[in-house]
Amino acid sequence: MFIKAASTISYQRTFRNPGFSATLKPLTTQSELLAPDYSGFIAAMDRRRMTDIQKMSITCAMDCLDQSGIKQPDAIIVGTSMGCSVNIKTFLDKILEAGEGPLSPTSFIVSTHNTVAGQIALLLKNHGYNMTYTQNTLSFEQALIDAMISCDDSMKNVLVGGADEEENAIYNMHGRLGDKRAQLTSGASFFLVSNQKEPGAVRIVDVGSFGWVEDNGHTVNQFLQANNTTIDEVDLTLFAIDGKQNELPNLLPGKLIDYQQFAGTYYTSSAFAMHYAFDILLTQLHSNHGDHVKTILVYNNLLPENLGLILLTSKTD
Amino acid sequence: MIQDLKYQLKQQIIEELKLEDLKPEDIKDDAPLFGDGLGLDSIDALELVVLLEKYHGVKITDEETGKKALASIDTMAQFIMEEKARQQ
Amino acid sequence: MKIFVTGIGAITAIGGNVVENLNSLRSLRTGLHKSSEYNLITGEVSLTNDQLSECFHLHDQNYSRTTLLSLPAAREAWGNNVRDSRIRTGLISSTSVGGMDRTEKYYFHDRRTNSPSHYHLMVHDNGTTTELLAEELGITGYISTISTACSSGANSIMQAARLVEAGRLDRVIAGGSEPLALFDTKGFASLNIYDPGFCKPFDENRKGLNLGEGAAFLVLENEKSLSATGNQPICVLSGWNNASDAFHQTASSPDGRGAYLAMIHALEKAGLSATEIDYVNAHGTGTVNNDLSESMALQKVFGKVPPFSSTKGFTGHTLAAAGAIEAVYCVLSISNQSILPNINFETSMHETGLQPEKEFRPASIQHVLSNSFGFGGNCTSLVFSKS
Repeated sequence: MFIKAASTISYQRTFRNPGFSATLKPLTTQSELLAPDYSGFIAAMDRRRMTDIQKMSITCAMDCLDQSGIKQPDAIIVGTSMGCSVNIKTFLDKILEAGEGPLSPTSFIVSTHNTVAGQIALLLKNHGYNMTYTQNTLSFEQALIDAMISCDDSMKNVLVGGADEEENAIYNMHGRLGDKRAQLTSGASFFLVSNQKEPGAVRIVDVGSFGWVEDNGHTVNQFLQANNTTIDEVDLTLFAIDGKQNELPNLLPGKLIDYQQFAGTYYTSSAFAMHYAFDILLTQLHSNHGDHVKTILVYNNLLPENLGLILLTSKTD
Repeated sequence: MIQDLKYQLKQQIIEELKLEDLKPEDIKDDAPLFGDGLGLDSIDALELVVLLEKYHGVKITDEETGKKALASIDTMAQFIMEEKARQQ
Repeated sequence: MKIFVTGIGAITAIGGNVVENLNSLRSLRTGLHKSSEYNLITGEVSLTNDQLSECFHLHDQNYSRTTLLSLPAAREAWGNNVRDSRIRTGLISSTSVGGMDRTEKYYFHDRRTNSPSHYHLMVHDNGTTTELLAEELGITGYISTISTACSSGANSIMQAARLVEAGRLDRVIAGGSEPLALFDTKGFASLNIYDPGFCKPFDENRKGLNLGEGAAFLVLENEKSLSATGNQPICVLSGWNNASDAFHQTASSPDGRGAYLAMIHALEKAGLSATEIDYVNAHGTGTVNNDLSESMALQKVFGKVPPFSSTKGFTGHTLAAAGAIEAVYCVLSISNQSILPNINFETSMHETGLQPEKEFRPASIQHVLSNSFGFGGNCTSLVFSKS
């Protein structure tokens, strides 16, 4: 499966900025979501009901379609852990406010986790396959696995993404992370993927989603072996872990970058990492990596019990 | 009196329906609220029913009444005045 | 490749296991009643959280009711299955509200205390409710939660089949779980689609839905898994499809386009013509909008609509769990060679004249179609066939 287009809105200058991988700086406490002017992408009457997750996702999705020239994808697949958490909180507030009186329905209507995928289909008038995965830190990996199955199953172009919005009242990540200093952020990354190869394309070799993972090193080894890849062929690993770096399995290659320092912490940040990897492979600008980064592994161990793996390559054989 | 009510309705509609680009002056009293006029939809209709009950203490109990009462600012104001008179 | 159904489990307002559910369907006994907690007609599972915890010897666990309901249903479906390194096993569940019952505890109570703890929030997200179920079943590896509102349960089952067909898994336990929560009862009431009386699917005078809670799971296996487990197939999952209505966030299109596409492509996948379907278990929520839209789509797919019914008059609308509960009911339709009844129906809709089946009656059942349509225009159809 090949990546035809990619688009990310995050706390970094990633949107419509190919080559951003060379300019990433670690987040500070002053960092904020760097969103474009949404009025260029979403009509006001639609935008008024949308929270960040919807605005980011729709904009990135439309940007991917624009970049690739595809008008109607055959499938729209989204991974999100907390979904429209701002609307969920708003509706809980409305319930408290209303008591036994009349209750405003809008935030309820747009609170289901599949609102993002559903809204994209609605705006495009797309009648194709539409799916939403909500398996906390593995949501995006599962959306990608579905995309691979869909592409193999004769769907030509698949729009796949991962998104989460920060919302402090009910966001439960802090309760589950070992490192309580993690900076909670938001982000959305969308990709147009297809089995149709194009020159100079980046290939997603395989994706793995491992819950209640028992032996991370063994799991990585098996995953690579199943894809006829050895650990030496992995030029770079982008990782996120809940803990200290020396808890990474020893077998991972020397070149390691912690993507959490750039993306911040949100459940579907491995989608950011995949775009980051795609950008490196495509532009090869980041001098710290040298000139020969051709295969990248995204190692998502953001929650210790879950391991997500994404293997990407620009090799053509 | 009724002009104040109409102005108040416009402010409330703009706030509750998040019509951020509009000011009360932009909404004509007799302009259709749905379809080609202001372009509100069925979700907005539900919100207007809530608005009428919450801020003006009047209830819309069936679709037919709703369609007539929510057609424009004029009809909304009229509905409120009539219902309040009936309540007394 | 054949996808075999080898295990089923369910807990709903009409029974704590599959046999109890079947007996209620047979005797037209509804599980809906006026709930004192919600002041609405709902389909409540009669066991409290404490009672569910006791069944599984869980003490002082911070488990949401979503997990607690999923346990008996999943255990029943899983039966004597064990971990087996020869076959790749997965778990796919689904839910709309996840740990919302615990979140409401935090939001409406804990938060107002002097030093609120986030304890109850720890299980808010959907994925966690499934992880805890996986832990109880001893399943590791592919653990997933799908959330597409009212089509979720059906999508879990469909995704299980796709993963097996794609050669990624051999055996999957798939389904969904949904508790009653104030979030939903208040939400649907605010949309004016909650019937103050008992819901009347496909009736001219229907006024809306009644919510219910419950969970259901199926075990799906390929031939390789069957050789390893020695399980007996009950029937086959022969077709599936998902399509978007793309009409409105909550309402279905007047012509039921998404529903129509889901149905015809599911039939295509099963290699069947419409005339070969012996029974349709409809989505049939009892709302003015769904039942008309679905009827239009049924007429377009079938011309002459086969025997059909909605079982939501028994269980209420169990949101994400609905597609899974109704999948279990479709399997029962095949294994018991019976049509399932649609209760509370009196008068046909004037637009269609369609009459759902009112009785539980024997019939020759080779192929069954099951529909589930959700908010966001998400439409899924499954086809089950006698093996």
